[in-house]
Amino acid sequence: MLRKTTLLLGVLLLALGMMAVAETAVPETPGANVGGTLTIGVSQTFKDMDPRIANSAYDNYVIGQVFDDLIVLDPYTYQPQPYVAKSWEVLSDDRVRFYLNEGIKFHNGEDLTADDVAFTFSWIADPENNSPNFTELVWMKEVVVVDDYTVDIVTKPEYAPFAPGFAQETQSIVPKDTVLAMGDEEFNLNPVGSGPYKFEEWKTGESLSIVRNEDYWLVYPNLDRVLYRPIPELSVMMLELEAGGIDIADNMPAQDVTRFQAMAGREVVQCPSMFCAYLFFNLQHTPGNDARFREAVYRSTNIDAAVFSIFQNLTGVRSYGCVPPAIWANDVPYLRDNIALEEDDARSKELIAELKADGVIPTDRALTVYCPLDPRRRQIATIIATNLIENGLNVIVQPLDWGPYLDLAYRSESDPTAAELDMGILGWSGGPDPHDFLYYLFDSDNCTVGSADNLSWYQDPEFDALIKEADTTLDTAKREELYVEAQRKVYKELINIPLYHYIETRGLNGRVHGFLISALSFMHICDPYHNVWVEG
Amino acid sequence: MTGYMVRRFIQLMFVLFGLTVLLFLLLKAMPGDPAKVMAGIGARIETIEAIRVKLGLDRPWPVQYWRLLSGIFNGQLQAMTYHKSVWTVILERLPATIELGAFALALALIISIPAGLLSAIFRNSPLDYAVTTAALMGISIPVFWFALMLMMVFGVALRILPVSGRGVSVVIPYLGRWSFLTWDGIRHLVIPAVALSSVQMAMNARLTRASMLEVLRQEYVNTARAKGLRERVVLVKHAFRNALAPVVTNIGLQVGALFAGAVLTETTTAWPGIGRLMVEAINRRDQSVVFGLALFMAACYMISYLVVDVLYAYIDPRITYD
Repeated sequence: MLRKTTLLLGVLLLALGMMAVAETAVPETPGANVGGTLTIGVSQTFKDMDPRIANSAYDNYVIGQVFDDLIVLDPYTYQPQPYVAKSWEVLSDDRVRFYLNEGIKFHNGEDLTADDVAFTFSWIADPENNSPNFTELVWMKEVVVVDDYTVDIVTKPEYAPFAPGFAQETQSIVPKDTVLAMGDEEFNLNPVGSGPYKFEEWKTGESLSIVRNEDYWLVYPNLDRVLYRPIPELSVMMLELEAGGIDIADNMPAQDVTRFQAMAGREVVQCPSMFCAYLFFNLQHTPGNDARFREAVYRSTNIDAAVFSIFQNLTGVRSYGCVPPAIWANDVPYLRDNIALEEDDARSKELIAELKADGVIPTDRALTVYCPLDPRRRQIATIIATNLIENGLNVIVQPLDWGPYLDLAYRSESDPTAAELDMGILGWSGGPDPHDFLYYLFDSDNCTVGSADNLSWYQDPEFDALIKEADTTLDTAKREELYVEAQRKVYKELINIPLYHYIETRGLNGRVHGFLISALSFMHICDPYHNVWVEG
Repeated sequence: MTGYMVRRFIQLMFVLFGLTVLLFLLLKAMPGDPAKVMAGIGARIETIEAIRVKLGLDRPWPVQYWRLLSGIFNGQLQAMTYHKSVWTVILERLPATIELGAFALALALIISIPAGLLSAIFRNSPLDYAVTTAALMGISIPVFWFALMLMMVFGVALRILPVSGRGVSVVIPYLGRWSFLTWDGIRHLVIPAVALSSVQMAMNARLTRASMLEVLRQEYVNTARAKGLRERVVLVKHAFRNALAPVVTNIGLQVGALFAGAVLTETTTAWPGIGRLMVEAINRRDQSVVFGLALFMAACYMISYLVVDVLYAYIDPRITYD
């Protein structure tokens, strides 16, 4: 597997932008006002502040400011860029050496060294610790400390060279000695990082605040303080934004977008997301395993109209494949023009009648479209079910709370084929690499009773081979070809129906400056690309 | 009276014990594996299993029940997702609920009892119609909608009150964090307290009016008037005092609710009390917090019922328990 040739290394370095870089970039904010408090409305309460176990996007709003990452992905090109690591070099297919910036200090005065990097990565990758982020580092064999400011990350032989793995090295670094002294639980409640802002106070369910790290090594953070306020009701969050009670709203319903766009002193900032929602079929039994049934469901609904009715193209757009348009290998034009099916009620009715005659569609029970309680997914499930009923299918919509939904969709030892699960609607978010979508949603590795991300239970050796080859190929153009081929294969077989991608939407008070969002940085206040400031 | 109280207390213990069993069974009947929800989508089966083991969810039900029960009483029960003990989580959020409930109740009493009294005295007058109409609206309008209207008017249009949240608070050693001690905290209290009190206000006003009308029809009121007592004395000393018994009962129950939190109001107004904690804990499948909180709320209700029963004897000397 190891191909240690100069030529290949050259390709690798070029393809992944992993050339050694002189130094970490510093964000410039000419004319910025230094000082003030920024208040951010957050849709959910915070849960974990230890980056080793936090797996909620909301927790990461804070973690991204309190901790520094080993590397950072450019928010627009998604290419790896220096952060704590000032440069790196690829030593072989399975080993990358990182050279750390010297002089970085944690908020308690400890130096950030290679030991801390090794501790952070090793802790997550150790199955004994049961980190929810374990799967992100499943490809990692070990971290070797070379000296105080040099570490090697080594890939497991079966994953080498694992191209998508590089994006996961954005992991935030925790201080080893402090964590060991405080204990995991205490560290989770009072985190100590090396980031631009220091953790100040966490009033559970009420607010969480961070204050400027005066000694931040990269730049002088513009804000004195950032206050995060969980506001579970979106309508109340909009009132707060309008009244000036918060400076940034982390979400906005479609019906408020145009209102805030027109409002003096308020702004709406948007970017494509890394999210896709889809309708999946259970391929383990009839009728989901019959391609005619999948076509009948697809043909029953005008997906464009359904998505538009929910989002008005303001906070969500039609999806043609699971890979979001924000990243490469999305293949949208081809999937839209050649694979996506148009609504054709006559054909849908004909197929449903044929399937009934063949005994594929059960007559003794209604089929069920399961969906989470999220109103948008309930709406689209209802639209599809209504169309199917009009076309002669006996079908109901069953919204389920998250727990029961996972119980059903993940399967269980007592019900390994999920006998009641005909089809369902779910969403998926990933990083800026097609692997994160195609591998988890369709590869047979993810058909495990009790924890299945491949909810359709699609098992195709040809597809698996394409993904494996793409994951271990370093030439981006070749990888793109392979992912595109894999994607066309699953959508041609109608394994699932892509529905929509969110458009990430933030509401802003006009006093906030320098706040930019990208598909990777939803709430970054200060990092190598941002240094938000507010008018006094 | 002492014997009665001892009997009631023993009874309360039995009810609480029965409740713990019922609560545990309800938690177990609740669909959805807490370990899967906590592990999140994309987790390995080993991680899910390890979480199950760590939380003791793999143990037999009687063992799980005993862990919850003993943990609640010895204070050692850890919340599954809050990284603190269940009691710490509850006590951190309790002051917010108490101050909201107390303000709402005080507001309700200050307005509703005089309103109900005047409504009964001036029966069928424009004042009576206004009070009964307002009371009907108070009972009928959903609290969350009323809260949103208050936010839109006073928070957004007039900009005289903060829309939501709790504002600046002060920590009192051993007693937690209180916001009513700061001006900013009081301003934040107004909208949730008015919204929450709307139902209490309406109920108390209607009850006071009905009770007063009932009493005013009694012969001893006519006797008092025939004796030549001033109307004010007749109304306040003879009628109102006797009309108070059902009102006090109702207030007692509302005090129980005060400690039990106001789920809708707290969620709508982003008020960090135990009502909102209950919603959070259910969503997170934190069975330890749900168990502890439900038990705490039930105990608050039961104790307030007991206190009301005892108060009866003082309000109405005809009532005796021995």
